[in-house]
Amino acid sequence: MAAPSARLGSLSGTNRAFGFRLALPAMLILLALLAVPTVLTVLYSVHDVPPNGAGLGPFVGLKNYAVVFASPVFWRSVQVTVTFSIGFVVLSTLIGLAMAMLLNQDFVGRGLARAMLIIPWATPWLVIGILWKWFADGSVGGLNAVLTQLHLLPAYQEFLSDPNWALPITILAAVWRQASFAGILLLAGLQTLPDELGEAAAIDGASLWQRFTLITIPWLRPVLITVTVLNVIYAFLQFDIVFAMTQGGPGDATQVISILIYRQLFGVTHIGLGSALAVILGVLALVGGLLIVKLLYRPEAVAA
Amino acid sequence: MSVSRTGVSRSTRRGRRRSTGATVALYAGVLVFAIWVLLPVWYLVVSSLISAAQLAVKPFPIIPGSITLDNYLSVLTGSNGGKGIGSTDLGVRLLPAIGESFLVSTCLVVIDLLLAGCAAYALSRFPFRGARAFELSVIATRVVPAIAIIGPFFVAFRITGLLNTPWALVISYNVFTLPLAIMILKNYFDQLPRELEEAATIDGASRLRTLWSIIVPVAKPGLVAAGVLIFLEAWSEFFYSLVLTNQLTVTPLLAGFQSVQQFNWNALAAATVMSMIPPIVLVLFFQRHVVGALTAGIGK
Repeated sequence: MAAPSARLGSLSGTNRAFGFRLALPAMLILLALLAVPTVLTVLYSVHDVPPNGAGLGPFVGLKNYAVVFASPVFWRSVQVTVTFSIGFVVLSTLIGLAMAMLLNQDFVGRGLARAMLIIPWATPWLVIGILWKWFADGSVGGLNAVLTQLHLLPAYQEFLSDPNWALPITILAAVWRQASFAGILLLAGLQTLPDELGEAAAIDGASLWQRFTLITIPWLRPVLITVTVLNVIYAFLQFDIVFAMTQGGPGDATQVISILIYRQLFGVTHIGLGSALAVILGVLALVGGLLIVKLLYRPEAVAA
Repeated sequence: MSVSRTGVSRSTRRGRRRSTGATVALYAGVLVFAIWVLLPVWYLVVSSLISAAQLAVKPFPIIPGSITLDNYLSVLTGSNGGKGIGSTDLGVRLLPAIGESFLVSTCLVVIDLLLAGCAAYALSRFPFRGARAFELSVIATRVVPAIAIIGPFFVAFRITGLLNTPWALVISYNVFTLPLAIMILKNYFDQLPRELEEAATIDGASRLRTLWSIIVPVAKPGLVAAGVLIFLEAWSEFFYSLVLTNQLTVTPLLAGFQSVQQFNWNALAAATVMSMIPPIVLVLFFQRHVVGALTAGIGK
């Protein structure tokens, strides 16, 4: 017992060194590309950085943060981001779940339908923004054409220049993409569900709804958690779709935090303020990230 | 064997039990699903195939009376067939932008498969001191907002003269493609039996040679899936390219065109369709690999 473990010890020593060398290039690159810019952005956020970005400028402490937290524009943007996120996460998950349940049934053309499920997910976010901007257009848009012909809408509507409609339509576009993502993952989860579970429950007299809530949902729980947490992050960091569809407008109706930062950094080139906002957004997303790590590593963390 | 058996029993069981009402409800659901996914895509494709005159008619011709390839010709050749509105700047720039997107995405696939392959293999087989911390930080990178780190990139690339070159993107895209590839490949390597290496060690092969000649061939499906996902992410990226280049790749070019030439939706639609084809074809072709890696790479 002692001899092999001693040999294993020295072997694992060289193995550790080998593993470290093998992973070193990737670690260095990620350190240079992520850690360094992150530190710089935090530094920017406590300085009054000149608009041309040359040097840090005078140190101002937490003044930029104070300006951000005192600004109604910021709080309005938080409100828009939270509204966007709730709509996006809830609808993506529910529609994705419905699609996954549907595509898990047997029907003619199922293979084709499953291929179709991939299309919105494989389309770039920006392209989805462009597509939906025009789809929802007030004169040449397909959405208006369909809704008016079905008499669901009395007349053509300028959805994206109407402050009441702009945010819901933007959410819808993002949901169109992300429901597919949720659907793909949930369908894969459903396919691993053993038939015997449902059969046994059916023999015991469980209704369709009982089987759904007592078997399917608990089985999908890990996937549902993953999908939800990822979608929260996607929601907070969403930029492309809003940029393509409304650029934050009309007014501030769709100005999510990332768009606000973009305007601060590249519109009015207030680098200090923009960086403070970026740090705040990063912290918000980090909370979600820690949640992911916690969820993904829960079983092993208990063991360790 | 067992998989196919259960597959058959499941289909016959369901086929037998489903009532007429349930069948009608099922196909109604499928119809709603098809409309949900295809209606926006159909609108885009039809827009790209009709003339500006047809587009101006209300309501939008969901089923067009006639179609034309003029919009595609105009964005491909730079000529607008003599009836478009505005300049056809897009036509001159679209193909080069598609080329740049291909260049950037392909470079990243090659670089990241190499870097992430080594790192993921190390994490899976030779966990070193700090390996766990590294793995956790790789996962945590998924939440770093691009906008929070773009400023320093901009400054660094301006100093080095890399601004507005594909290399600025090849470097900066690693921020999200490299962690993704590491996560997918680590997961894939974890599933490979350790006996593979043990047999090679008995034969006296070095660890690097084992990785190259034993593991890489076996791990091909995982490498393909990771490669496709890297390509997809790089192809889809918009924000870095918007800030670091002057509409070098497809996504910022489309966005720029949209804000300049409001009136020529037909041509923009044709360009948009062309920008969607490479990622969709790639993913559909490798559907099985990609879905497997996607579920393994981010879930448990």
